[in-house]
Amino acid sequence: MKKRLRNPIHIRTAALIAIAVFGTAPIYATAGQGSQVPNPQTQNQPAQNPPPDLKSPGFQEFSDRVQKYVQLHKSVEATVPRLKTTNEPELIVAHQKILARKIKAARLHAKRGAIFTPAAREAFLKAISSEFQGPQAPHAKATIKQGAPLKKVHLHVNEIYPESIPYTSVPPTMLQNLPKLPEEVAYRVVSSDLVLLDVKANLVVDYLPGVIPVEATNGQ
Amino acid sequence: MMLRRRFFLVGIGIFLVLATGQRADEFKFPLKSNSVRFAAIGDMGTGDKPEYETSQQMNAQRKNFPFDFVLALGDNLYGGHSSSDFEKKFARPYKPLLDAGVKFYAALGNHDDASERFYKPFNMNGANYYSFKKGNVHFFALDSNYMDPKQLDWLQKQLEGAGSNEWKICFFHHPLYSSARKHGPATDLRLLLEPIFVKYGVNVVFAGHEHVYERILPQKGIYYFTEGSSGQLRAGGLDRSNITANGFDSDRAFMLVEVADEQMYFETVSRTGKVVDSGVIQRQQAATAAKP
Repeated sequence: MKKRLRNPIHIRTAALIAIAVFGTAPIYATAGQGSQVPNPQTQNQPAQNPPPDLKSPGFQEFSDRVQKYVQLHKSVEATVPRLKTTNEPELIVAHQKILARKIKAARLHAKRGAIFTPAAREAFLKAISSEFQGPQAPHAKATIKQGAPLKKVHLHVNEIYPESIPYTSVPPTMLQNLPKLPEEVAYRVVSSDLVLLDVKANLVVDYLPGVIPVEATNGQ
Repeated sequence: MMLRRRFFLVGIGIFLVLATGQRADEFKFPLKSNSVRFAAIGDMGTGDKPEYETSQQMNAQRKNFPFDFVLALGDNLYGGHSSSDFEKKFARPYKPLLDAGVKFYAALGNHDDASERFYKPFNMNGANYYSFKKGNVHFFALDSNYMDPKQLDWLQKQLEGAGSNEWKICFFHHPLYSSARKHGPATDLRLLLEPIFVKYGVNVVFAGHEHVYERILPQKGIYYFTEGSSGQLRAGGLDRSNITANGFDSDRAFMLVEVADEQMYFETVSRTGKVVDSGVIQRQQAATAAKP
């Protein structure tokens, strides 16, 4: 009996009988039906592209620069009263503003490319290109379209990320193939740019313009 | 084989539910003394009239269905994040619930600022992702804006540590399955999360992002709900597909949920108090035992 019920045909038959018997019941349903999206069985196969070399000189240089930035961030943060969870949103807003102001002052002459150096740019281009040309490309493009800002956003290094612009999800499969970041910073995709954002100060630390394929950000 | 076993268990669960003869027009929450009762809202933080009206309806429903907490599925605050935004888009509309001691547990959406995690009423304790337990239910709040390897590792460890007899409920912003017209499913996210959900026996997933309500037919044995219309609404935005079990896209809505032992009872209620969906889910077993 046990063996019989494990047969999917019998399971489906049992389910159909149940639906026939209780056919008017609006409570549903059947398990594991087909989907409008690509076949999940094939989706869950690992990407076929070889993963980018995270120890490449370009990525290594990037990670070193990020570490230096985070050291600066931490030294500035140490001068600001520690933010704890609070019922007073004005304290959260004030903390973010003070932290941003002090980091901006400490990096007064920061320019684009200070962290995404030319060597780093090459490494990122290779990794991103692999992501957007590989088997997972449709999924990555869909992820970006889901939350992409509608218009071109002009970013500036060492400036606040515009608060009214929604975040764009960075394709999770792409994140697996980029250098890991300390908790103070995160990657963001804005238009066709890859941004390194200070998430505590909401500051643009650096960005790589035009590295995300344009067709991925034209959707909505 | 493992998947087949999971489908079998889901099928049996559905059969048992049907066999009780319970129908939507007869639907009643059991209101058991030891049950876990909560509401779920998503994409609510507009500060506009519909958000206020929906929260008033939640408060009204609470008289008959006394829920203890609310899952906020992201886009908790649209636009600015000044202190007046927190007030107008969250503290004021939900004041009656907050005053009654109802707790909110928030996930971050694409319109949320990461600083929201320090806002005490969101109960995120400064973290982008976190977990908590209520009775026999283990909740996992994820940050679907940024599913980096660190978060994935954390999730696997948390799920590994969860009891095999517990309900495992994940909630986050971007739906893995969706038939809505605007965005559609987050398939890239699904590539990474779904195998973990299946492996560790996640039972139910709540998401927002699409400004409609949709209940998805079980996928690989997991129940998915999208509730992204608790403030925002994309009228007519649901393009029902072969994975849609039910949906609602003509007004704002929220969900009421009671987990009582091995059953999860749910009801989706519109801004005007109309019940637009309801049902009972039998807890599935994990496809593979994460722990002996």
